[in-house]
Amino acid sequence: MKSKFMDAKYLFLILFSASLIVFGLLFATPIEIYKGTIQILTQPDTLITDYIGVGGIGASFFNSGVLTLIFTFLLYKLKLKINGISIASIFLIAGFSLFGKNLFNVWFVIIGVFIYSKVQKDKFSKYIYIAIFGTAMAPIVTEIIFSTTISKLISIPLGMAIGISIGFILPPISSFLLNVHQGFNLYNIGFASGVIGTIFVSLLKSYGFIPVPRFIWTEGNNEIFSIYLYLLFSLFIICGFLLNNKSFKNVKNITHYSGRLISDFVIMEGFPPTLINMGINGIIATTYILLVNGDLNGPTIGGIFTIVGFGAFGKHPKNIIPIFIGVLIGSVTKIWNINDPSILLAALFGTALAPIAGEFGWFYGIIAAIIHSSVVLNVGYLHGGLNLYNNGFSAGIVAAVLVPLIEAFRKDDF
Amino acid sequence: MKHEKKRITKIIDELMFYLFSMGANNIDVNFKREADLCAITFKSDYDLSKRDKLFKLVKFLNYEKQEEMEEYYWELTGNYDLDTELSLVGMMIDEAKIYYDDEKIEIVLLRYN
Repeated sequence: MKSKFMDAKYLFLILFSASLIVFGLLFATPIEIYKGTIQILTQPDTLITDYIGVGGIGASFFNSGVLTLIFTFLLYKLKLKINGISIASIFLIAGFSLFGKNLFNVWFVIIGVFIYSKVQKDKFSKYIYIAIFGTAMAPIVTEIIFSTTISKLISIPLGMAIGISIGFILPPISSFLLNVHQGFNLYNIGFASGVIGTIFVSLLKSYGFIPVPRFIWTEGNNEIFSIYLYLLFSLFIICGFLLNNKSFKNVKNITHYSGRLISDFVIMEGFPPTLINMGINGIIATTYILLVNGDLNGPTIGGIFTIVGFGAFGKHPKNIIPIFIGVLIGSVTKIWNINDPSILLAALFGTALAPIAGEFGWFYGIIAAIIHSSVVLNVGYLHGGLNLYNNGFSAGIVAAVLVPLIEAFRKDDF
Repeated sequence: MKHEKKRITKIIDELMFYLFSMGANNIDVNFKREADLCAITFKSDYDLSKRDKLFKLVKFLNYEKQEEMEEYYWELTGNYDLDTELSLVGMMIDEAKIYYDDEKIEIVLLRYN
């Protein structure tokens, strides 16, 4: 069935990319963007590397906008219809291009997945979403290439080879690991990348290569970023409303889905209601950061974009709010503060577990978030911060333990 | 395509589970492989009080085939017993025909090679 919104969806992604580039251009001259981009491309990207602190607002948003545009063009060239997973994957690129993915480091994993598809004598388009999500491991490339302990003669080919090999092994592993959490972790590739990253980093450590942790986190830009984000998400809602025959029809239907993989809201309820849901998610996530007095910067905007993107593929207000509440409750009883950087990210990216709240109710969503906010602080060590979806790794572990327990003691049966 | 037989088995699992959830006590499953397609037919009774749920079955099974979704997510089919992945099944098949009256449901799924 041809959708009359097919072109509108591509146009939406192009305009979103353009908004990022234009926003970047408001803060820097082309020369400054060029210099900032060089800085971004030539430094390691281990968690947490806020590109705004590395290359400035202009270069960060330029990097994000251009990468988003390139990946949108890639989907177009592969003749794919834009649905929920397409939007989620593109927004993930936009978000993480503010803190870890850049115009240089993402391609090696993509090439690895491409080679895998050719070895399988299959179309690359069948693996495109695994490839796009798989760029979570992009920092391993730059971490090795820009390492100061290895000669460039070795580090450059080694970094490229490792990036390609991760992409090559990712498709079967990511598909298989779905069985572990039964689709209750929306960032399945984060879980797969965590497992793969743990193995690769263990091997590298055995040969004396230790990933160097980074912590670049910018502050003080809340006002300007909140204006941009609220404006952007309000536009999503207004456009969705207009495309939806000036109504909120079917938006409520989205909240009836648990969000468990796969819940493609574009296919299930249509693009206009999904766009409204994405806008609402964005406003909630931005407001959360401001309410807890957190910082809007590369990593947190990345988290917000991820929630917005997955507003087309599993997340809605009813299943993400319990996650925020769980992290909030955790902060009252645990040793950290609600606006600590890692905890802000745990709240935003912890919404990977939204399907638990959607399927089993608010209570279990809150429990999942309380557990997740502790687990996520401990698993980064395993992959040396080289898996950008560290929360997806943690969420996979939490879901794998929590879901069978909830099921075992649940009274009702389907 | 890798795991073709396993994928078909999982599609059958998913539909079997769905029919159980609809109150089925008597299910016939027929699988037929031809040169260019596989046809899976289910004939089953069901609980009439759950008839309203058939709307979702028709909706989900008629989703357009999406190879990229199948390649990534097929492992989820037929695995979980608190929910169904009928929408995923819809994306893994080329055509679905669903007939029902007050007593019986017949589902025919076609998957071209």
